[in-house]
Amino acid sequence: MFDLPILLQIGWTAVATSAYYVLFAIAFALTLKVAQVWNFVQAGVMGLAFYAMWLAMIRWQWPHAAGFALGLAVAVVVSAAVEAWGFRVLRQRNSSSLMLFIFAIVLAEFISYLLTLAFGTEPETLTKSIVSEVHLVGGVAITNWDLRALAITIAMSLALFAYLRFTRNGQFLYAVADNGPLAELYGISANRAYLLAMVISAVFVAAGVYLYGTRASMIPTQPLELMLFAVIATILGGIGSIHGAALAAVFLSLLQSASILVIPSAWQGSLTYFVLFIVILFFPTGFRFPAWLRRVTRGR
Amino acid sequence: MIRSFTAHAGVRALVFASIAAAVCAAPALAQTLKFGLAMPLTGSQSSFGKDQIKAAEWAVADINAKGGVNGKKLEMIVLDTQGDATLGINAVNRLVNVDKVPVFVTAWSAVVKAVAPIANREKVLALSIGANSPDIAKLGDYVYTAFPLADVDVAAVANYTLKTLGKKRVAVIYVNNETGIEAAKVYRTQFEKSGGQIVAYETYDPKATDFTGALLKVRAANPEMIHLHGLVAEMPLVIAQMRQLGMTQRVTSYAGAYNPQMVEKAGKGAEGLIVTSLAPDARQNPNVSGYLERWKKAENRIPNGLPYTQYLYDSAYLVAALYDHLEKNKLPATGENMRRALLAVKTFDLPMTGKLVINEDHTVRKPVNLLTVQDGQFVPLATVD
Amino acid sequence: MEYILSVLILIGIYTILASSFNLIIGFGGLISVAHPIFFALGAYASGLANLHFGVPIPAAIMLGSLFAALMSVALSLPSLRVSGDYLLIASIGFQLGFLEVIKNIEFAGGAGGLSNIASMYAGPYRSLAFAITILVIAALVVALVHWLTHGDYGRAIQAMRDDEECFTSLGRNPMAIKITIFAFGSGLAGLAGALYAHYFQYLTPEQFGIVQSSLILTMVVVGGMGTTIGPVVGALLLTALPQAITFLNLPSSVMAPLQGMLYTSLVLVFLFTRPAGLFGKPVRQ
Repeated sequence: MFDLPILLQIGWTAVATSAYYVLFAIAFALTLKVAQVWNFVQAGVMGLAFYAMWLAMIRWQWPHAAGFALGLAVAVVVSAAVEAWGFRVLRQRNSSSLMLFIFAIVLAEFISYLLTLAFGTEPETLTKSIVSEVHLVGGVAITNWDLRALAITIAMSLALFAYLRFTRNGQFLYAVADNGPLAELYGISANRAYLLAMVISAVFVAAGVYLYGTRASMIPTQPLELMLFAVIATILGGIGSIHGAALAAVFLSLLQSASILVIPSAWQGSLTYFVLFIVILFFPTGFRFPAWLRRVTRGR
Repeated sequence: MIRSFTAHAGVRALVFASIAAAVCAAPALAQTLKFGLAMPLTGSQSSFGKDQIKAAEWAVADINAKGGVNGKKLEMIVLDTQGDATLGINAVNRLVNVDKVPVFVTAWSAVVKAVAPIANREKVLALSIGANSPDIAKLGDYVYTAFPLADVDVAAVANYTLKTLGKKRVAVIYVNNETGIEAAKVYRTQFEKSGGQIVAYETYDPKATDFTGALLKVRAANPEMIHLHGLVAEMPLVIAQMRQLGMTQRVTSYAGAYNPQMVEKAGKGAEGLIVTSLAPDARQNPNVSGYLERWKKAENRIPNGLPYTQYLYDSAYLVAALYDHLEKNKLPATGENMRRALLAVKTFDLPMTGKLVINEDHTVRKPVNLLTVQDGQFVPLATVD
Repeated sequence: MEYILSVLILIGIYTILASSFNLIIGFGGLISVAHPIFFALGAYASGLANLHFGVPIPAAIMLGSLFAALMSVALSLPSLRVSGDYLLIASIGFQLGFLEVIKNIEFAGGAGGLSNIASMYAGPYRSLAFAITILVIAALVVALVHWLTHGDYGRAIQAMRDDEECFTSLGRNPMAIKITIFAFGSGLAGLAGALYAHYFQYLTPEQFGIVQSSLILTMVVVGGMGTTIGPVVGALLLTALPQAITFLNLPSSVMAPLQGMLYTSLVLVFLFTRPAGLFGKPVRQ
């Protein structure tokens, strides 16, 4: 039962499917780090982006690239609008974190109902059939989807890392994340930084829903559930660490898949929540890497 | 002068008399025979619900076109449940308390279970048509099914796999909800009773989109065939992911999988899929071809869940037969009398599904048609009695 | 008539839920969305105690309420030890996690739900008796919450909420107060749940998810957080309005998401134009 090909398959598929979780986690962690806001509206953006892509690709029969572009555009525009007319306004009024949270989650739900009204609750995928070519490598089934997902995720993560580390705007994001008012004194616009963070998150969200929609099916209430994974990964990775969130997402995916080896499949769904609890109890500030590894990954 | 006055008076009197007669007769004419239909009009199950409602509406229209039941028209009141328990309770409450129906038809196991206490408490006859949880037979005095429960078709599939196909090692994978849990148990009991071995028995969450965990466990057990029991929403995905993990076993399922969407979404992976149908097809029942023609003309397609719609079409005829019995025996239309009528008539001859016998234990048995997917189409495979 | 009574019963239940939630979030300042799970725990505990252990219904209801209060400590204690923000995330996880657990427990009916729970009253006047009972209990709960928050204890809560550090330096224990409020509010939710169970006689995990959380939140926000009458009006409006809409005879495919959009857009409008809600006093910025 626990032979090598099975373990390898579990490991491979877990890592491959963690791709979209990683993208969602990075998106969430970025906005949390820079804007200090628990951006649950991301769930709404996920839904809107997905259905925009679905309309383009399935209903209007556009080529995939064009469909993706539409979804991306929708995600970016909505995220920017939420920041400019939502969070910024509440921030200027010195609203409590409770208000910001209520705003975020209620807006996400509003969007979910809107999508239900417009698209119904039938599960939808972005391609007619989600089957892609399978290559059997030493007993492990590797699909073209897996390879594409990993390639896209790794490329985007590296690009973000480079951007944050090596470009001026990236440095500004770090500065504002560290100390907003101080950064302002140096002439860095905090509002611009918040906007930039939301836009970058939108890009990751669009990529994430594209991958998700080509492997599994979506209904309007799904994004809120997917978000939970991203939230747990963000906490586990340490609030303020984007790399941490990404790695935590991979780890959680592996944990969830490997769990079937020890627990009955019926309990697999509950596992994520138990992990959340354990994380809050024992690792509220995130899982601490050994110091030398931390220095390398933090890049500071 | 006087003659013309009396003549006019006579005409007037005649006119008044006829108006009076019409007015008095009107309530009798306007009186309809009511029954309720609580089905998913909206929501994730609506593609099935709407077609089933349409079939029932056609039947009511057909019955009324032929004069109704002894001259009285049948009236069906349709309310939405979305296949959801809470909405189902609301809908049935309205049917029972506001519309005051003596009998209603509903489906989806969760809804049937939720409204059972209402039917029993208010003494209104609940006819479950399409839901297949075996528990439905035990929900109380006023809950009856007119559709065979899972233990009929799932058992038939299990027997076919073991006895006809000769496969002794099978894995079961099912959705972790009302539909799946009970039916999977039925499969396992039947298969093991007949001497087979269940090598893996795995479940997945109804909202999951990644079934890798459960599928890997199944793969590790190396079964000869796999029985899949879920909803059309995710079954094609399960099969697709199964094939993506290099699993090539043949898959069996139940009546819910007899749906073109299975082939559409799972593509080549659905080849060889075995499903069941609990309604006769066009060869077995000549009325069915006319029924399919009607669908083609009205909607240019076959209905979603064809066999279920056949049963829903017949549901109107079933209710009509019950009302007919009440009329003939001069019984008032109450839930209690409806129930008595059901048990008294017991055997019904229905246009689309043939003979129906209501057993004492609240169950029904029917012959099971097995179909398989060949070159992307469902073709008949066998019939099990 | 029956129909109106069932709406009144729902209004009563939601009044209890909204008031108790207001106690937690409006007065206590504890950001939690897990209120429906305590509603659920009270409902299930009461239903099961009566169904499987033969506990008489009034006692079962008390038991359900107590069970919910105790379970709330399991959530509040670990999360509050860390920080208030964590309570939010932990509460989401707690709610959804527990729902998953309930779905997998055969004893509690599993995903198919717990049916045939005993009804508290029987006979032709059942609904009337229920309606009166629940409305009386709802009124008592509102009065209780009012008394709690406007007396000495209420001042302590306010002090803690306004400046926790100062509060601690005065030798008071904020954690104890927070956990107590949370337990109290959750216990009341459990009470509502038990009453719900014995009226509707059927429970499924689906009834207690995030949609419920946002509904209760809407009632409190729109009515006015931190006021006594606010949640009551919120509960009334948001239970009666959807029912009224159903009589407009709109197509059902439009109705359900439309109701959802109504709740959420109400909250959003209030959040930006009148954050204090219908009855709250506008806060000085």
